[in-house]
Amino acid sequence: MLSFTVSRTLFCAARRTSLRPTVAALAATRGYRGNAQEPNLIEVPLPPWQEKKGESLDIKRKRLLYESRKRGMLENCILLSLFAKRYLESMNETQLRQYDRLINEPSNDWDIYYWATEAKPTPEVFQGEVMDMLKEFTKNRDKEQRLDAPNLEYLDKSCH
Amino acid sequence: MAAVFSASRVLGKKILPSKPLLTFCPAIRKLHFYINGKRGDAKVTDAMSMHYPVVDHEFDAVVVGAGGAGLRAAFGLSEAGFNTACVTKLFPTRSHTVAAQGGINAALGNMEEDDWRWHFYDTVKGSDWLGDQDAIHYMTEQAPAAVVELENFGMPFSRTEDGKIYQRAFGGQSLKFGKGGQAHRCCCVADRTGHSLLHTLYGRSLRYDTNYFVEYFALDLLMEGGECQGIIALCMEDGSIHRFRAKNTVIATGGYGRAYFSCTSAHTSTGDGNAMVARGGLPCQDLEFVQFHPTGIYGAGCLITEGCRGEGGILINSEGERFMERYAPNAKDLASRDVVSRSMTIEIREGRGVGPEKDHVYLQLHHLPPQQLATRLPGISETAMIFAGVDVTKEPIPVLPTVHYNMGGIPTNYKGQVITYKDGEDKVVPGLYACGEAGCASVHGANRLGANSLLDLVVFGRACALTIAENNTPGEKIAPLKANAGEESVANLDKMRFANGNTRTSEIRLNMQKTMQSHAAVFRTGEVLKEGCVKMDALYQTLDDIRTFDRGIVWNTDLVETLELQNLMLNAMQTINAAEARKESRGAHAREDFKASQLIGERVDEYDYSKPMQGQDKKPFNKHWRKHTLSYIDPKTGKVTLEYRPVIDDSLNAEDCAAIPPAIRSY
Repeated sequence: MLSFTVSRTLFCAARRTSLRPTVAALAATRGYRGNAQEPNLIEVPLPPWQEKKGESLDIKRKRLLYESRKRGMLENCILLSLFAKRYLESMNETQLRQYDRLINEPSNDWDIYYWATEAKPTPEVFQGEVMDMLKEFTKNRDKEQRLDAPNLEYLDKSCH
Repeated sequence: MAAVFSASRVLGKKILPSKPLLTFCPAIRKLHFYINGKRGDAKVTDAMSMHYPVVDHEFDAVVVGAGGAGLRAAFGLSEAGFNTACVTKLFPTRSHTVAAQGGINAALGNMEEDDWRWHFYDTVKGSDWLGDQDAIHYMTEQAPAAVVELENFGMPFSRTEDGKIYQRAFGGQSLKFGKGGQAHRCCCVADRTGHSLLHTLYGRSLRYDTNYFVEYFALDLLMEGGECQGIIALCMEDGSIHRFRAKNTVIATGGYGRAYFSCTSAHTSTGDGNAMVARGGLPCQDLEFVQFHPTGIYGAGCLITEGCRGEGGILINSEGERFMERYAPNAKDLASRDVVSRSMTIEIREGRGVGPEKDHVYLQLHHLPPQQLATRLPGISETAMIFAGVDVTKEPIPVLPTVHYNMGGIPTNYKGQVITYKDGEDKVVPGLYACGEAGCASVHGANRLGANSLLDLVVFGRACALTIAENNTPGEKIAPLKANAGEESVANLDKMRFANGNTRTSEIRLNMQKTMQSHAAVFRTGEVLKEGCVKMDALYQTLDDIRTFDRGIVWNTDLVETLELQNLMLNAMQTINAAEARKESRGAHAREDFKASQLIGERVDEYDYSKPMQGQDKKPFNKHWRKHTLSYIDPKTGKVTLEYRPVIDDSLNAEDCAAIPPAIRSY
């Protein structure tokens, strides 16, 4: 789930935390509970992201559409749903799998935004054709107005 | 090892035997055939399944929503030994909490001497005396312990040189009950406090074997005899229906910013929990209090930080005038948020707005040296280019006061239990709890202070877990659900899935958003609100004529967005009706027809607190407005009924913490 650099940072932070004496006497008012006093307080890394096996390309596209439109913050909602509108239907299998990894593996949505806007360098594991497409798309060379995520009707075959 | 087990649970999703116990056959559906072949040619062979496989689960507790509050509740319950399910429509670290870049307020006293009672005072005042002082007492007193607890869980707070948690200043925080200057009590993790919170809590909860049902869309509560018995949800991955039988249900589904055209929230903030509660026949509280942030990008709504104006950016109208000079001669563009929002709205109303519809203003930055823009405000340049197609070194950014937070929500007491108000008393609804932005304890009252929201999440998420643990034992036997519990929800789902009316989901949604934006925005007046109520009512009726196009059941985004629209409509109807009824100005609810001066609102309290109280008669309950609104809505007709309940003015312990009597709010 975490890229190597992120998990390494967390591990270092956790090491620093465990060297600090744990704060024992927390407020006792109103039966305060929840201080998990365990011998080992190192932060647990999240379970690694795993690709879904046995999913047809059509279903993958539908899932990635949902996952592009429903993000953690508005900037990504708009950016990724516009990107999905432009590219998702025409992506081949390799591209779909790259895209799947790109939007589902990182744990912090802001990271995807920073990589797409090139405010931060993209980690190697996410670099590739789809990331390049996203970066180019983000540049908005045609200066189109991106006021909102598109509604879904572009998928409605019956009105074409 | 536990982590590996938990990992397989997370990825395996369905834990209990998935043999469908029963199926739902919705009532005979009328098929729409269009002989002229224009649209909606419903082919009978088009895989329209009349049967929905249902899977039943039993847990001690089910939490709906996996943001900061939901994760904290799920973690607390799992840690206390309860078999807990967490049902979420998003992967936990993708909840809207991840957008939070501010911090958590807590009176730790690391930067200067501090006392949680001063934080208590600031919060009560910030809420414009609509906040319940017992809940505020609970939250501010627990704050230091809550932050230290998060630190113990491994959350990497920013540190001072001597290793203590670094705290910074934030709006509305003062020392010595407002007399000691600015307080520094906001603890943060660089600029990713929200993400760090989610990551920490999610990781911890997996260690305690919380069962996550990710990308399941919760449809409704299962209410029986006024008691909550669990929830019913749709699994997006395979289209199956899941009923979660649990003695305790915690709702932590967040706010409903998406009811407005312009909001800073992600597209996932659709008020699902509020709507579930409303359909269960329960009230929502104080929905008319919606917080506006002055500078969100027009249309997109992405937040442009106040720092822009701090660096010299100015707001201009269609005449190129720096209009803030008129409204706030001293502070100008750096006046407080609600003052700036109201000024911008007045300009637009008086016809000096910009753009083809003259409905927004400009934020000008191109008079600043490009060097300064690049170094101090790099994020702004990118955001403006990406979302407004604007080059900030050459053109101004279109901005509008933007919906940012919902102070209102599901009414609870300070322990997190959902309440209703009958016969002059607060009555607990058995089995139902709420926390986070979805809940209304009410700590924010009529206006929320910055950095209090993340605190609200962890304190009340924990409070729900504690209350459940106090009153229940893990593994308690509970009566099974009725065979047809949740039938109505599935019938609605089916109806929406095959809806073939005349108005598309996106059309109704846009109409609703534009109506709310023009009629229930920053400045509200009686006639405009009344007009808005009528328009919204008409819009509500168009839901019967809705049209969807995706007939599948697996990963049907069209269907989910339609269900979300239904939820948003319920929230929007209650919001505008409650705003129309409240005839005063308080906090974020500013009525142009009830104001003392152009910018200062007029509260209608039980006494006039701007004058000495001696010799004043206390106004009876039905003649003043220092009370909470409780709104009910009939989902079939859209009719909203309003009731009121008093504000709790006593703290939990008068000796520990004296309650703050109401006063005129000035900074």
